[in-house]
Amino acid sequence: MRFNASGFLDIFKRYDFSFFGIAMAIFIVGILNLYSATSGSPNMANLYQTQIAYFSVAMIVGMAVSFLGPKNYYRYSYMFYFFNIFLLVVVLVMGHKGMGAQRWLVIGPIRFQPSEVMKMSAVLCLARWWSKHDTDRELGIKELIIPFGISFVPALLIILEPDLGTGLLILLIFFVMAFYRKLKWKTLMIIIAIGTISGALMYQFGLKDYQRRRILTFIDPTADARGSGYNAIQSKIAIGSGQFWGKGWTKSTQASLNYLPENHTDFVFSIFNEEHGFVGALILISLYILLFFRFLWLASSVTRLFDAIVAVGLMSIFFWHTFINMGMVMGLMPVVGLPLPLMSYGGSSLVTFGICCGIATSISNSRNLF
Amino acid sequence: MFGEDDIVRSHKGRLDLIGNIVVLFFLVIFARLWYLQIYSGKELYRYSIENTLRKETVNAPRGMIFSRNNQLLIHNIPRFDAVIIPQYLKNKKESIKKLGMILKMTPDEINKILIKNRGQARYRPVVIKKNISRKEVAIIETENFKMPGVMVQTFISREYSDKEIGGHLLGYISEISQAQLPKYRKRDKFNYKLGDFIGQAGLEEQMDLQLRGEDGFEFVRVDARGRVRKNIKGEDLFSEVRNMKATPGNNLRLTVDRDLQIAAYESLEGKVGSAVAVDVNSGEILAMVSRPSFDPTQFSRGLTSEYWKSLIDNENNPLRDRTIQEHYSPGSTFKTITAIAALEEGIVKKDQVIQCGPTFKLGRRRYHDWKKDGHGPTDVYKSLKRSVDVYFYKIATQLDIDVLADYARKFGLGTKTGISLPRETSGLIPDREWKKKRFGEEWQLGETLSCSIGQSYILTTPLQLAMAYAAIANGGTLYHPYLIKEIFKNDGEVIEKFSPKEVSKLNISKDTLEAIKKGLYQVVNEQKGTAWWYRGVGIRMAGKTGTSQVKSMTSKELFSKCEEMPYRDRHHGIFVGYAPAYDPKIAVAVVVEHGCHGSSAAAPVVRDVITKYMKKYYPQKYALYAEEDKKKMKQFWLDEKARKEKLKKESEEKEEVAAESTEEDT
Repeated sequence: MRFNASGFLDIFKRYDFSFFGIAMAIFIVGILNLYSATSGSPNMANLYQTQIAYFSVAMIVGMAVSFLGPKNYYRYSYMFYFFNIFLLVVVLVMGHKGMGAQRWLVIGPIRFQPSEVMKMSAVLCLARWWSKHDTDRELGIKELIIPFGISFVPALLIILEPDLGTGLLILLIFFVMAFYRKLKWKTLMIIIAIGTISGALMYQFGLKDYQRRRILTFIDPTADARGSGYNAIQSKIAIGSGQFWGKGWTKSTQASLNYLPENHTDFVFSIFNEEHGFVGALILISLYILLFFRFLWLASSVTRLFDAIVAVGLMSIFFWHTFINMGMVMGLMPVVGLPLPLMSYGGSSLVTFGICCGIATSISNSRNLF
Repeated sequence: MFGEDDIVRSHKGRLDLIGNIVVLFFLVIFARLWYLQIYSGKELYRYSIENTLRKETVNAPRGMIFSRNNQLLIHNIPRFDAVIIPQYLKNKKESIKKLGMILKMTPDEINKILIKNRGQARYRPVVIKKNISRKEVAIIETENFKMPGVMVQTFISREYSDKEIGGHLLGYISEISQAQLPKYRKRDKFNYKLGDFIGQAGLEEQMDLQLRGEDGFEFVRVDARGRVRKNIKGEDLFSEVRNMKATPGNNLRLTVDRDLQIAAYESLEGKVGSAVAVDVNSGEILAMVSRPSFDPTQFSRGLTSEYWKSLIDNENNPLRDRTIQEHYSPGSTFKTITAIAALEEGIVKKDQVIQCGPTFKLGRRRYHDWKKDGHGPTDVYKSLKRSVDVYFYKIATQLDIDVLADYARKFGLGTKTGISLPRETSGLIPDREWKKKRFGEEWQLGETLSCSIGQSYILTTPLQLAMAYAAIANGGTLYHPYLIKEIFKNDGEVIEKFSPKEVSKLNISKDTLEAIKKGLYQVVNEQKGTAWWYRGVGIRMAGKTGTSQVKSMTSKELFSKCEEMPYRDRHHGIFVGYAPAYDPKIAVAVVVEHGCHGSSAAAPVVRDVITKYMKKYYPQKYALYAEEDKKKMKQFWLDEKARKEKLKKESEEKEEVAAESTEEDT
């Protein structure tokens, strides 16, 4: 692509703003909510400003990524993947310890979690593999061995950090992508059956009480797993007390009292529900579903298999974060400490989701190039 | 790329399925939202307004500490704080005024405390006054409904049975400081938070992880005014919440004897200094006190600013443990080591007599003996008994400093003993290499002379001296000093038992040790011995006096009366002894700062501790020795009387006998 003024204008005309647009909408809701959640505690009152700064960085990085062609992602996907695996090993060996887990890598002023980027590296790597192998058939156990390995190795490294939540998330993303790549129904059933039964048996009979508690701590060392139930109950009360219309913005009673220890990160959704009620949740979730479907539409409109698989993979990153976070906040699942995309406070996750949007935009922009 | 388009299209079915599954998943979310917000919304709203859970830490009872005879040295007693929980505080002004009246505080003072704690979560209690009286507790409890948010909080105070006695040994606990927080979290891999009590000195610090136990927590259901409500079992939402019991800390049984502690402490009354008593045959610490001291109980109750100020302003630094954190020149107590080195190296024979005048001249410098007139012919026994400086100067000319330093180190001097107490100092045994490193200069022979009598660079702690003399007493085994006999749980189960540990065998010939012991016996038990006047009754003590010069002195100053010098310039008095001399059980080292003389200042303390020990543990031996001593003294006074009468006749000079009795070494 030669660069000239009219070409630039061309790009601008072709540029797909939908991904960043929806993301921006959710983020605005998120920043208002974050302001409300932190205004009660003086030492966090400026958090929303930091969050805006993080978002700006995420947008800039995401936009930059969107100007790289999908061919580049394809070309460098394996390299990204192995480099990222290398970083995960480095983190395990000499990473920075924070809150009982070894997740951070510090390079000068920048602190980041290789496990965050790993989600995208895994998506790109799997997409490349599947776009070149077994394209003519449905996937059985035999065809799954290598792709499973591709996702299992980083998942295991992340679980060892220990960050069980993110580790399992990578396996779930793999699962969605495999399903898209025509996983045989029979194989799917076998995997689900084996997974559920062995998991349940292990948890119920194979473990002693204290071991079970330890697993809960293991799932998220930052959560107060010993007082299991406390966060979940407070969160349930917060959500329920919102009722239909909510208590109104900045009127949360649970949040401002700091009942929810992580109310600016993992538990933002419960404060949103308390203040905006069922109606608010309906609107917010609609925004998320719109975003998911934008990814799925992209997958159906591209001409290259690689692009389609990437789109599905990126969708699943967003989807699992959103679903698991909401489920955990409502007491449907154990507390595993995954952020709510674009709503939770935190630079690493914002940048990750920004890059996801950037890749999707880049794929979307390249559709009309032929 | 031919045909890829078709492949993508062939996946359309799966894409639609994924879309449906996404919608399905969120239908579950909506169903749950409907259940929470619409179905049980009213009830949960009520909960959010009326009921709240409060998580309360259940402090683990800290382990207790017992003496060797199972007397309780540290125990826990419940006490009360008045607190305000800002979240529940209604009609703030009035409540604060009322509370102020009860606690005799002004509303301003209370407001100040509240403002200081504004940063923390509003449901956390803010302590307004610590350790309130039972009467105040009663008033607050009855007036509670008029002042929502004001409450009484129970806490466990740590009480030290003997107050100041052994404060340094036991240490104290206080709240972890902001600066300690990150350091201790890293060290113990334990998530300390502000408000946690940790051991800050002595055994409390050293054994903190054993003593502290593990805090538990429980959730209490409180109403909107912060009053605790009974939890109706299994009937409400909060029944799912799990509590956690506290695990009590482990208890310690020490090697320390409470009576000896008290005896040593009382004997040091009015003095600045310390005493260490050890069992010579095991290394068990029997007593370890330092004065001035502090009352650890004050720390755990929450230090008052007056008490803290009194500790800080005291120029004798009561917080310093003088038994291990302070080192002194050992003075003449080091002559014992020099004598051993000389005998072992064959520089002198034990019966060899050396002429000792008033000074020894080395090059252009004169080294003075403490006695102006000198001691005349001296053998090794007399050299110890009378502490003859010139004898050691003469030896020192042939004794290489590196050899002397090796002997000193053999006795554990110059290195930390490794006792389980924090911030022990190592003292210093100088040699050529050390001086080169420290000053970049060669060693001077004159310095060897000073070192041979325990002055110059040599520094030792009272504990090191006690251990070294214990090794002499027991025939040549240097033990590791230890304080803890066993660690045990509340139910009596012993977790760890400690037994004597040898650091090394000294490999010093029996002949040499016998000679030295004979000399040390004469110091106390023969007339003209430097500690003769402080020998006591019934204990058969042996030992050595010493004075540690605080600053270097001119010869004129050297012979001026110590008591007339400014306090800070006076010598430290040291005495290290053991008993009974020929069947040793206990060794005691005492240093009295600026006490001028090892004999008059320090020896009586050693004598008192040993007397207490003999009476308590060997009463029959004590009675036997006492009987013999009485007879001996009777004879002594008869002889003395005869001698005096003889002298009176022979000469007109009367003062001499009296003068002799007050003679001291330098």
